[in-house]
Amino acid sequence: MAVKKQVSLRSRLVRTVGERFVSDGSAERHVYSYDMTENEPKSPAFVVMPATVEEIQQLLKIANETKTPLVPMVAGQNVGGLTIPQVDGAVVVDLKRMNRVLEVDEEGMYAVLEPGVTFGHLRAYLDRHHPTLRYTYPLAPPYTSVMTNALLQGLNDLSTVHGAMADFINAIEVVLPTGELTKIGSCILGEHNWFGHHPLPDLLSLFLGWQGMTGIVTRIAVQLWPKLPCVSHAALLTFGERPSVALLKHIARANLVEDGECMSFSLLKMLMGIGPPVRQLEGEPDYGTLLTLSGHSETEVAEKYKAIENLVAKSKQQDPRQLLVPWQAIAKLVGEDAHSWVDFPSDVFKILCEYDGLTWVGTYIHPRHWSDALEQGRRIVTKYGFELMAFLKAMKGMHFGEFKFIIRFDKGVPRVITKVRKCNEELLDMALSLGALPYKTPVWAARKVLVRADPNWVKLVRRIHDTLDPNHILNPGRWGL
Amino acid sequence: MPTPSVLDEWLHRCIRCSNCKFIFRDYRPACPSGEAFGFESYFASGRIWLARGLLSGALKWDDSLLTPIFACTTCGNCQEQCLAPHKRHIVEMIEDLRGLAAKHVGLLAAHKALLDNVKKTHNPYGEPHHARGLAKEHSLPESAETVYFVGCTANYRERAIRDATISVLKKAEVDFTVVDEYCCGSPLLRIGQPDAAKALAAHNLKKFDDVGAKRIVTSCAGCFRALRMDYPRLGLNARVEVVHAAQLVDELLRNGVLEAKTTTKGVVTYHDPCHLGRHMEVYEPPRRVLQALQVQLEEMPRTRANAWCCGAGGGAKSAFPEWSQQVAEQRVAEAVDTGADLLVSTCPFCKRALNDGRGKARRGLRVLDLLEFVDQLT
Repeated sequence: MAVKKQVSLRSRLVRTVGERFVSDGSAERHVYSYDMTENEPKSPAFVVMPATVEEIQQLLKIANETKTPLVPMVAGQNVGGLTIPQVDGAVVVDLKRMNRVLEVDEEGMYAVLEPGVTFGHLRAYLDRHHPTLRYTYPLAPPYTSVMTNALLQGLNDLSTVHGAMADFINAIEVVLPTGELTKIGSCILGEHNWFGHHPLPDLLSLFLGWQGMTGIVTRIAVQLWPKLPCVSHAALLTFGERPSVALLKHIARANLVEDGECMSFSLLKMLMGIGPPVRQLEGEPDYGTLLTLSGHSETEVAEKYKAIENLVAKSKQQDPRQLLVPWQAIAKLVGEDAHSWVDFPSDVFKILCEYDGLTWVGTYIHPRHWSDALEQGRRIVTKYGFELMAFLKAMKGMHFGEFKFIIRFDKGVPRVITKVRKCNEELLDMALSLGALPYKTPVWAARKVLVRADPNWVKLVRRIHDTLDPNHILNPGRWGL
Repeated sequence: MPTPSVLDEWLHRCIRCSNCKFIFRDYRPACPSGEAFGFESYFASGRIWLARGLLSGALKWDDSLLTPIFACTTCGNCQEQCLAPHKRHIVEMIEDLRGLAAKHVGLLAAHKALLDNVKKTHNPYGEPHHARGLAKEHSLPESAETVYFVGCTANYRERAIRDATISVLKKAEVDFTVVDEYCCGSPLLRIGQPDAAKALAAHNLKKFDDVGAKRIVTSCAGCFRALRMDYPRLGLNARVEVVHAAQLVDELLRNGVLEAKTTTKGVVTYHDPCHLGRHMEVYEPPRRVLQALQVQLEEMPRTRANAWCCGAGGGAKSAFPEWSQQVAEQRVAEAVDTGADLLVSTCPFCKRALNDGRGKARRGLRVLDLLEFVDQLT
C-alpha cells in the first residue's frame, strides 16, 4: 500500500474507532496473520477494534470508498485460515469489544448476543440470571464466539438431536458489505421480537456459511433450551468402524441421547495423560463415545439407559466386545477429572493443545457413507504417520453424520507442515468422492468443492456475492471467489 | 537470555485457544494487559506467537514491538488458566522475550532508567543507598541468624512497612539484623535482565554469609520470589531459608510468641500479591494471620490463584503508569464491593499501587500491609 494512501486510511480509521483501537504495528500485523492451522499466513495492513454498529458501518463506508478489504474476526482462536487475509492491504476487524448479552427472552427461549459473546460467557450469564435455560456448547475451548460458530454452521452438544448450529439461529442484524444495516427474521417487526425467521422469504441463509463475505453480523438471536433436571452420562466403547457406526445410528434414531460425541480411543488415552505420540494398541477399542442422557426424572433417564443397553446387547451379536459403561465407573477409573470432561464448555479440549498446530478436515456426510469415510480416513491418517484422532457425531436425529480427522502438529518443523497439507488434501478428496460437504472450509478446500460442484450452483453463488458486495470488500478470496 | 532458554523448549506449544484470557469455569477476565489493550498481541498467547515469529525470522525486530512485549505485569494469571503443556513457563517465556527485545531494540526509557538507577545506587528508585544505616538506628547486632531483607520499596517508599516489620520482630524478640543489601534483582529479572540481577544476587548472598544468616525474612513478595525461586535459577544457591514476613508472623502467632492484644471492627479484605500467591503458592499464612487477629475477612471474587493483579509488577508501573493505575483501580473497586473498609496485602509494591488505585476519591478504603496491621493489633 502506498505510504500516502496508508497514512490517509489510518487517519480515517482512527477517526472512526479511536487511536487506541487501530494498529499497524508489527506485533499486531504478525499475530493476526496466522491461525492455528497449516494455512499460509498473510499480514493485514491494519487491525481495528470497533465497539458499535455505527463504527462498523463507517468502516464499511471507508472500505468501499478506498477499495480496502475488510476481514471480520472475533475471539482469536481461528481455524481453517478463515480470518487470514487472502489479499494485500486488508484491515482485520476484531469484534471482541462488542461482547454484550443484550437480551434473554425466557418465554421465547432465545438470547440476543453481540459478536464477542463466547460460549463460556453465555454459560456464566445463563447460570447466573436464567438458571432454567441452557445454550449448547461445542467441543472447543470456552472462549469461542457463539456467533461465529453459529454462522459457520458448526456443531455442538445438542447437534445429535437438533442439527448444525446454524439451525439454532432465530434472527440477525447485519451490516451489509455496502454499509446498510438490516434485520433478518421476526425482529423486522420490532425489538423484543426475535423468535424466529419463518415464514418469510429466507434471507438468513445469505449469511450462513459465507465466512463473513456477505455482511458483518452485529446481533444474533440464538435458541436456548430448557435445562432438564436430570442428566447422566455413559461411555460406549466400540470396535470396528462399521459396527460402531451402526450402533451410533440406532441410538441416534431412537432419540435416546441428548448428545453422542464419538472419538478415536486414542483421544481418551490422551485425556488420561498418555503423552504423544499416542498409538493404538492391539485389542483396544477403536472408539469411545460420550453419551449424554437427560430427562425430567431419574426414572426417565434410567429407562433411556436401559433402552441403550438393549441396543448395545443387540450389537454384541455382531461383536461381543461392544461395551456400555456408566460414567460413575469411568470416574472411579480415571478420577474426578471425568466429571469436568462432561461439564461443557469442557476442559477436554486441552488434549488438542499439545503443539502450536492443530487442523482438521471436517465434513457433514450422508449416513450411508459414514463408515466408509471413517475406514478410508483411518488408512490415510495412518499412512502419514499421524495420531488417529477421529471425531464423529450423529446429526439431527441421524439425518446426516459428521466426521473429522484432527491432526495436532509442531509448526516449527516445515516437513511436518508439508505432510499435514498432503494428508488433509487426501482426506478431503476422499470425503468429496463420497459426497461429503466440508465445513469451516479453508480456501484450498473450497476450490476443490467449486471444481466438483454443480456449475449452476457456483454461478449462483458468484452472482449473489457480486450483488451483495459489488466492490468485493468483505473477506475477498474466501470460498475461492 | 539464559541458555538454554525456555523459549527454545516451549515455543511451539500454543495454539491460541484463549484459555489464558479468562478464569477457567468462572469466565471473568484474567489478563490485565489483554483486557486493557484488546489486541491479541497483548495476551499471553499473542506474546508467545510474537516470540515464535521473531525466533523463526518471520517477524523482524522494531520499536513498535516493545509495547506489546513489555505492557504485561507478568502476574502469571495466564499460567493458572492455561491447560497446555507450556503453562508453567509462560512468564519465563515473556521474560526471555524481553531479554531478546532489550538486546535487539533496547529497553523502554523507564526501564533503562530503572536499570541505571540500580547500577548507580543499588535500588531502582535512585535513592541514596542506605547500607546498614538501619542497624544503628534500631540497635541491631552485627550478626544474627535471621536477616530482615527490607527491600527497596519498603526501604525507600513505603517505610511504614519496614518500621512495622522491625517493630513486630522486636516484639516477638526475634534475634535479627539487617545487611548492606542491594536490590534483590526482581525488577531486573521481570524486564529480562538476568545478568544484571545475578550480580545483585551474588552481593546479597555474600552479605548473608558474612553475618552468619540462616534465615532471611522479606517484606516484599517480589524479593521473596527472587531470593527463593530466582536465585537458584540463576545458578546461585542460597544456603539460607527464605520466608516472607507473613509466614513468619503466622508461625509466631501460632506458637504464641506473638499475641493479638486488641482487634478492630469493620470488614477486611485481602489481596494476594502475584509474587507471593500465584508465583510461590503462599495463600494460607496471611489468611491465618488475619483469622488470628479476629477480624471479619471478606474475600474478593477473584482471589488466591485467580486474583486480579494490582497492576504494578513486571515494570508496568514505571513504563505504563496510566494503564497500571487502571488495573489497580479495578482491584480497588473489587475490594470496595466486598464491603471492606480495609484492604490488606503482603507486598509494599502492591500497597503502593493499590493506594494509588484508590484514586482521587479515595473511596473510603484504607490500604495497609499485613505487617502494619499486625503491628497495630499486637
